[in-house]
Amino acid sequence: MTNAVSAKRRYLALWFPFLSAERLRIEEPDCPTLTPAPPPDAPLALIIKVKGALRLAAVDARAAALGLAPGLTLADARARQPGLIAAPFDPAADRAWLARMVRCCARWTPLAALALPDGITLDITGAEHLFGGEAGLAAEVEDTCTAIGMSCRLALAATAEAAQALARHAAAQPLTDEAAAIRALPVTALGLDPAALLALRRAGLTRIGDLAARPAASLAARFGAEAVTALRRLIGEEQAPLVPLAAAAPLRFRRRFAEPLTHQGALAHHFADLLHEAAGVLEERRLGGRCFSLALLRSDGARHRLDIETGQPCRDPQLVLRLFDERIAALADPLDPGFGYDGMVLAVPRAEPLAASQPGLDGSARDATELAELIDRLSTRLGPGSLRRLAPQDSHIPEQAQRALPAIDAPAPACWPALPPGEPPLRPLFLLDPPQPVEVLAEVPDGPPHRFRWQRKLHEVRLYEGPERIAPEWWRRRGGEYPGQAGLTRDYYRIEDAAGRRYWIFRHGLYEECSGPKWYLHGLFA
Amino acid sequence: MTAPPVFAELAAATNFSFLRGASHPHEMVARAHALGMTGIGIADRNSLAGVVRAHRAWQAVGGQAGSFRLILGARLVFADATPDVIAYPQTRRGWEQLTRLLTLGNRRAAKGECQLFLADLLAHAGDLALVAMDGDAALLGALRAAAPRIWLAATMPRGGSDTRRLAQRMALAERAQVPLIATNDALYAAPGDRPLQDVLTCIREGLTLQTAGRQLAANAERHLKPPAEMARLFRACPAALHATRDLLDGITFTLGELRYEYPREPVPPGWEPQGWLEHLVREGGRSHFPDGLPAAYQRVLDEEFGLIHSRGYACYFLTVHDIVRHARSLDPPILCQGRGSAANSLVCYFLGITPIDPVQERLLFSRFLSTERDEPPDIDVDFEHERREEVIQYIYARHGRERAGIAATVIRYRQRSAIREVGKALGLSEDVTARLSGTVWGSWSSGELPETRLTEAGFDPANPELARLREMVARLLDFPRHLSQHVGGFVLSETRLDELAAIHNAAMPDRTFIEWDKDDLETLGLMKVDVLALGMLTAIRKSFDLLRQHRLADLTLATVPREDPATYAMLCTGDSIGTFQVESRAQIAMLPRLRPRRLYDLVIQVAIVRPGPIQGGMVHPYLRRRNGEEAVDYPGPPGEIESVLDKTLGVPLFQEQAMKLAIVAAGYSPAEADALRRAMATFRNNGTIDQHRLRLVDGMTARGYPLDFAERCFKQIEGFGEYGFPESHAQAFAWLAYVSSWLKCHYPAAFTCALLNSQPMGFYAPAQLVRDAAEHGVEVRPIDINASHWDNHLEAERVLRLGLRQIGGFREDWAGKMVAARAAGRFAGLEDLARRASLPARALQLLADADALGSLGTNRREAGWDAQRIVPVQLPLFAAAQAGELRAEAAPALPAMPLCEEVVADYQTQRLSLKGHPMQFLRAGLAASGVLDCAAVNAARDGARVRAAGVVLVRQRPGTGKAIFITIEDETGVVNALLWASELERQRSAVMGARLMVIEGEVQRSKEGVVHLMAQRIIDRTALLDRLTAAEPARPSRPRGHPRQVRVIPKSRDFH
Repeated sequence: MTNAVSAKRRYLALWFPFLSAERLRIEEPDCPTLTPAPPPDAPLALIIKVKGALRLAAVDARAAALGLAPGLTLADARARQPGLIAAPFDPAADRAWLARMVRCCARWTPLAALALPDGITLDITGAEHLFGGEAGLAAEVEDTCTAIGMSCRLALAATAEAAQALARHAAAQPLTDEAAAIRALPVTALGLDPAALLALRRAGLTRIGDLAARPAASLAARFGAEAVTALRRLIGEEQAPLVPLAAAAPLRFRRRFAEPLTHQGALAHHFADLLHEAAGVLEERRLGGRCFSLALLRSDGARHRLDIETGQPCRDPQLVLRLFDERIAALADPLDPGFGYDGMVLAVPRAEPLAASQPGLDGSARDATELAELIDRLSTRLGPGSLRRLAPQDSHIPEQAQRALPAIDAPAPACWPALPPGEPPLRPLFLLDPPQPVEVLAEVPDGPPHRFRWQRKLHEVRLYEGPERIAPEWWRRRGGEYPGQAGLTRDYYRIEDAAGRRYWIFRHGLYEECSGPKWYLHGLFA
Repeated sequence: MTAPPVFAELAAATNFSFLRGASHPHEMVARAHALGMTGIGIADRNSLAGVVRAHRAWQAVGGQAGSFRLILGARLVFADATPDVIAYPQTRRGWEQLTRLLTLGNRRAAKGECQLFLADLLAHAGDLALVAMDGDAALLGALRAAAPRIWLAATMPRGGSDTRRLAQRMALAERAQVPLIATNDALYAAPGDRPLQDVLTCIREGLTLQTAGRQLAANAERHLKPPAEMARLFRACPAALHATRDLLDGITFTLGELRYEYPREPVPPGWEPQGWLEHLVREGGRSHFPDGLPAAYQRVLDEEFGLIHSRGYACYFLTVHDIVRHARSLDPPILCQGRGSAANSLVCYFLGITPIDPVQERLLFSRFLSTERDEPPDIDVDFEHERREEVIQYIYARHGRERAGIAATVIRYRQRSAIREVGKALGLSEDVTARLSGTVWGSWSSGELPETRLTEAGFDPANPELARLREMVARLLDFPRHLSQHVGGFVLSETRLDELAAIHNAAMPDRTFIEWDKDDLETLGLMKVDVLALGMLTAIRKSFDLLRQHRLADLTLATVPREDPATYAMLCTGDSIGTFQVESRAQIAMLPRLRPRRLYDLVIQVAIVRPGPIQGGMVHPYLRRRNGEEAVDYPGPPGEIESVLDKTLGVPLFQEQAMKLAIVAAGYSPAEADALRRAMATFRNNGTIDQHRLRLVDGMTARGYPLDFAERCFKQIEGFGEYGFPESHAQAFAWLAYVSSWLKCHYPAAFTCALLNSQPMGFYAPAQLVRDAAEHGVEVRPIDINASHWDNHLEAERVLRLGLRQIGGFREDWAGKMVAARAAGRFAGLEDLARRASLPARALQLLADADALGSLGTNRREAGWDAQRIVPVQLPLFAAAQAGELRAEAAPALPAMPLCEEVVADYQTQRLSLKGHPMQFLRAGLAASGVLDCAAVNAARDGARVRAAGVVLVRQRPGTGKAIFITIEDETGVVNALLWASELERQRSAVMGARLMVIEGEVQRSKEGVVHLMAQRIIDRTALLDRLTAAEPARPSRPRGHPRQVRVIPKSRDFH
């Protein structure tokens, strides 16, 4: 660092050798997957399926210390370490985690970039003096990482590539002579493909210094121009700009008024303006809001807050405005402007991807949206829990075959099992919960009911159809795979009494399964 | 009182409706019989694969003689939305129609599928009884016009609206003038089978029980229901029940009617097959005995002729003779040798099918082909593995594809696959099932998943999920999973095969197989010729070729000098690397103890290291008697079993002997003994074993045999069930073992060369073979661009030149171009080679890395550096110039390559090195810490405590798994170490993970001089290997996959 010039840049590289494993330990402290709880000091590996075989994709420090390395098959690893815990490898989650860490690095420098798959590069040029010089900054970064449970190795260098290479491959820290350290790096640091690496090693060229001493043309002829570029960046002969990870600005839009406004029309006008602005930004980012929050700032310091939610991502100002109108209309206490509002803030705390859309010319796509809008309006007016929608569930057991979910969260209804044309409905729309016991006179062993008593009233069965036999879900019961231990089978009958009322009742248990099966009424047909 | 209801289930599926039916065919038949049905109709989805098993089960409950009927057909599932139709052949002609129909559908579709259309059925329905499972008046009308008899199925599945549906069906039947037939559309035998059926559904659809929802059946109703229950369900329509009897009554066909005609071999005019066979055999006999047959031979021959004549097997022997004759008539001829029960006959010996003289070896043909056991003869013929396909194509060409087909193999659920699939269906993670399915080490052989395995893998056996897994795995075991083609069993027929059985497409193009496996064929009495591939025959043929080429000897399999003392002397010292059958670790240890001196000793040698004799505890008694430490005696009544056991000193070693003991000593009939063998082989977990144990052991003790002997005999039979090994096979293998040993003894260079050229085969890697050759005085020369061919070759009797095929990734066509270009003169350098042989860059790099430029004086490092630069794609403009295009470059001045790196690079490119052994570079350091080399360990006194180090060649945990065998190698030899399994847990990581290990233990030397190192401590020193390369990678960042290049030493051969 003798001829330091103003253009000289400094980079700090962070490498997380156990990113995946430590990320998992932090995010999911009680590791899932296993039946008996694993001992806390068991080695952990993340596994991935490669051509039908499970292989280790990443390991934690303990596993690495025991000699397990990525690439090993899980079977081989288990053969050596039967106590190994394995969890699925999730590169997307690792990447997201890394991106979050990059954003945290904004406290040290705005120029922070991902070094995939498991590193971060910081351009600290001109920032280090704020933290007591390079060493002080490095120490602070390291402490922060260790504090959250991420082991990391750091290195400083004049190029981003060199810093990363030193962090990953250098033998000793801290550095005294940076240039010498770079020259002592193994050729792996170039990041070439395995064939090229092997060729270099076979040629006896194992250190970066061995390569730097040779004519560039002889390298380019064998390994391409990229190899030369990589080498030049490593030894500091070439700079590549760092592409910092841009943090997405929060979706907040504000207006300050020159003087407090009390007039509702004026407020509505400004609010509509805000919504248009928000819609523009959302469209740019291909997003739609699922939740909008409006804060009205009163001149005396009071804050009124209104929230709305939508069932589907949306950014249409008219629609959002209408929902806010519903919300305001439903308020128990009307908003009191007092001496007037001097500002308003619109935030979109929850947004989801929404492609730019073009409505069909004939407006045919409107029907579904109209229902969604109705759900939004009713939910806004009545509260999200009050409006429910039945969702079909894939089960033979009647009470499990449908669930009532808050309409605003429920996904678009899946297909209900279709009835053959001309068939009467086999089940009532609504079921009694729990089913009500009835006294029944029926044929033994599995004949239909003749009459039954429900709520002290006797009903003569005039017509019946059945039974529809539904066996219990044996796999939910301990030992259910053995005959007789699965639970009780139900025989459902659809019946009509003398007054023409229709019922759905069942016998709980076959005679083979229990001695005196009980009967229950499970629903009424409309 | 009314008569008891009459009903037969005629839509019963078995587990040959893969992943739908949840009961074995025999379970369905037995249950239907027990329930008092009048019969059962087995109909699997587009398949007749299970019918023979059903037929066998039916014979067990009375068969033709009883009143219970079995009809066999198929449930036709269409590709064109036509509802399923069940088809039963009424007569033999109907059977033909059905098999041809299924064949048509199978051949149209990919392997394992069947694509049928309604039109196909209508064209083949002339003699079929049909049951439409669903459908409208139009379909019924079409079927009625095509088939003589048709019904419409009615079911009462307890779906809620059964009565209404039955009424609709009745109306439809009335309208279409088609009678209704009652069925329960059964998928399993008893209601308790529903969980298994649910699991099968999940496996089929790739779901878990928790998510499958309504894809599973709502209830457990699809079992076989008793006639009374069916009568109650169908009280609105009793006629539907009676219809089952109508359907049964119209069907006369049974499988017994499949009159199978073995193809008539063409014989010269004026000859009958029997006469022609006898003529050929006598001709052959004359070549063995020019002065006339001795009386003993004549007697055996007459007996064999009589048997063959009475059973009409002449054509079968003629076929085998024809195949063998054809293989030998090719240029160059294909080596082959027969084995199997019928192969050890004088007929086969005189026909040249086998080189074993059965009279001299006292093998009794009639014992294996008795009239009591109505079983077709069985001859397996081994061919050179690289050329078997030519033989197969010959058979197809000669008999036609319609008349020749390969038998099927039923792929069944085994422990591992069952755990994996059931685990998935139960929603367990793949990791958990992988842990359980025996990847840890060794799988258990039979029965339920043992609790110890669960605890070993770190699970709580009381966990209900795991208990469920165990139970469902036990139920799924042995279920057929799919059909595959047999390795080489051919079925030949005089008539079209597709009129006998349905034919499927195999995965290989142009291959077809018939739906039945070898047990089915045996049941039906269909004859099969096994055309098998054997690597050692290839190696032997290549050895003979080399000997002929270098004018060293002119030999055939039959003319190799017999009973050569030098060969036996070599074997007695355990020097058998590379030979056939006697080369494994256990065999090498056995050789000095058994000390073979004649061919029959080798027969025993080959047979003794097998599960049967080992589990029966017969090995040590035999060795003691052979060494004269124990008197030869025969347990039981005097003289009773002497004739059975006299060849093996009173100890049963062969499968035939064990079976014969069951007959002679335990009072089994031959047919019962056969059933015993079958029970051991197939139904391993259904309780019959215990019955057999009682019967055999009690039978023998009652007749005066010691209990211990009887117990051991039973254990041995059990062992044979796992891996049957009869004397007839041992005889054939022993001869090849002898021939290969003879070659190794007298022509080690040629033999090693042939072995290397036949890889992959055998037990040892090229490195060990080359090293063994070098130890036997063979000079092995390195690969060189100016000397090597694709194959390894001999440069003199004892000089072996390695070939280009040893370079991993090199291609034969590159080698061909090199040899062709070399005809015009030696290559002067890499660039010259690239231009003249027009090789791609990859080839040049491989050659350079393999150090194949030695003859030019170019070292590996420089050659490799140059090869990286050469771009051999010639632009047409420059091609004419034929001049070097590359700009001259200053001398690279690369650092010299140290020898240890050379050795490592040799291993990486060729998996062997002539320059040294990796261990020699570590020797100084190891010796300083008191580690002995392998030679010193092998020379140490008995009981010495030593430490040895070496690279791991083999880790093995055989059979019962009480001990782990580890073989390590260094520059001086190999050490065989043995670690007790109880010691494994403490050192598992080192034992399993090390590629280079230090073993601490005690030397154990047997009196025959076999040395074992009884390991006490194992230390993983793999890190030392990394020091051999100057490269760093103490901490490699993240290697992807397993490129061979990252290993210094190829992976050891481990048997998990």
